[in-house]
Amino acid sequence: MDHLDLLKQKWQSVEQELPQLSYGDIHQMLLKKSSSIVKWIFLISIGELLFWTILTFFVPESSKIINDSMGLKTTFIIVNVLHYTIFTVFIYLFYKNYQSIAVTDTIKDLMENILSTRKTVKNFVIYNVSASVLLLIGVNLFYYTKKEQLYTLMAENYEGYGTIAKESFTSVFFISQLLFGVLLVGLILLFYRIIYGILLKRLQHNYTELEKMET
Amino acid sequence: MNKELEHSFVKELETNQNIVHKICRLYTNNSHAHNDLFQEITIQLWKAYPKFRGDSKFSTWMYRVALNTAITLYRKSKRTVATQDFEAVSFKISSVEYDDTVEEQLKLMYAAVKSLNDIDKALVFLYLEDKSYREISETLGISEVNSRVKMNRIKGKLRTVLNP
Repeated sequence: MDHLDLLKQKWQSVEQELPQLSYGDIHQMLLKKSSSIVKWIFLISIGELLFWTILTFFVPESSKIINDSMGLKTTFIIVNVLHYTIFTVFIYLFYKNYQSIAVTDTIKDLMENILSTRKTVKNFVIYNVSASVLLLIGVNLFYYTKKEQLYTLMAENYEGYGTIAKESFTSVFFISQLLFGVLLVGLILLFYRIIYGILLKRLQHNYTELEKMET
Repeated sequence: MNKELEHSFVKELETNQNIVHKICRLYTNNSHAHNDLFQEITIQLWKAYPKFRGDSKFSTWMYRVALNTAITLYRKSKRTVATQDFEAVSFKISSVEYDDTVEEQLKLMYAAVKSLNDIDKALVFLYLEDKSYREISETLGISEVNSRVKMNRIKGKLRTVLNP
């Protein structure tokens, strides 16, 4: 006989020594809080959605003045309307995906629903990063064509820039913009490596195992 | 109403707790993690209980929720991987049929099952619980044929572990 079938026979005929919990023990457990990954994914995702939404409100007043004076006011209004429309779509998709996560699903469906919920948030962040980068590049290219005007404005609004000689202004300004962009993208990538490492590594691995069975 | 629901749930779980304990024992390595997982499974079962309509047996419904929690929802603590403070499994074998080699083989077999990956382990567990391939496929969410094929492969793998 197969070893596994021997184990199966014993598994059923012989009682395993298992702990026994009383009615009271189990009743106590109902009061405790869950710490499942779905809960963590939900909290982190809400955090990300809020972070990116709130971030758009924190454009410093001085840079608004500069953008407006440089003639970008209408462009920014259009960009913002577009931005918030896309935000709404993402939040709706996230909510719909999240609602579909049910512990009573099959093992495969549960994994798929969790992964697609995360994917929505991931796409949301990718959208934000690429939109920010594109905007940063676009605005800087526009500024570059109007260097003179920009220097005058910057010197008026930021004391620091007034002390920089006109000749070196272009390089100082654009290099700092570039550094800012690289730093931003770097931080976000680091954040994602950590999140995915902690929460989704095991899930991804198990999902791949399950997928392999179907091929 | 809520009290009634609570009472019937705790009663059901108390009666069927062995299923959950067996899963906890397969998926964790020490009593701390065992209790932790049991706790999480209980919460997940309780949260889903209002939607349990009784068109299947409570125990059948439990397998799905408990395995989903063990495989996907439960976050393994680092401690779980590092330590092992209890025997892999102990079977109560009556003195009449006590057989050293059989017990030794069973222990080896159990250890081999335990070392499988999370998904294979779920498949073997349902097999050991004498579930049909139809039930196994419905729990995992893969086709019946594929679960049969996979089960045969695992059997082969386990055979080589025991008879190298």
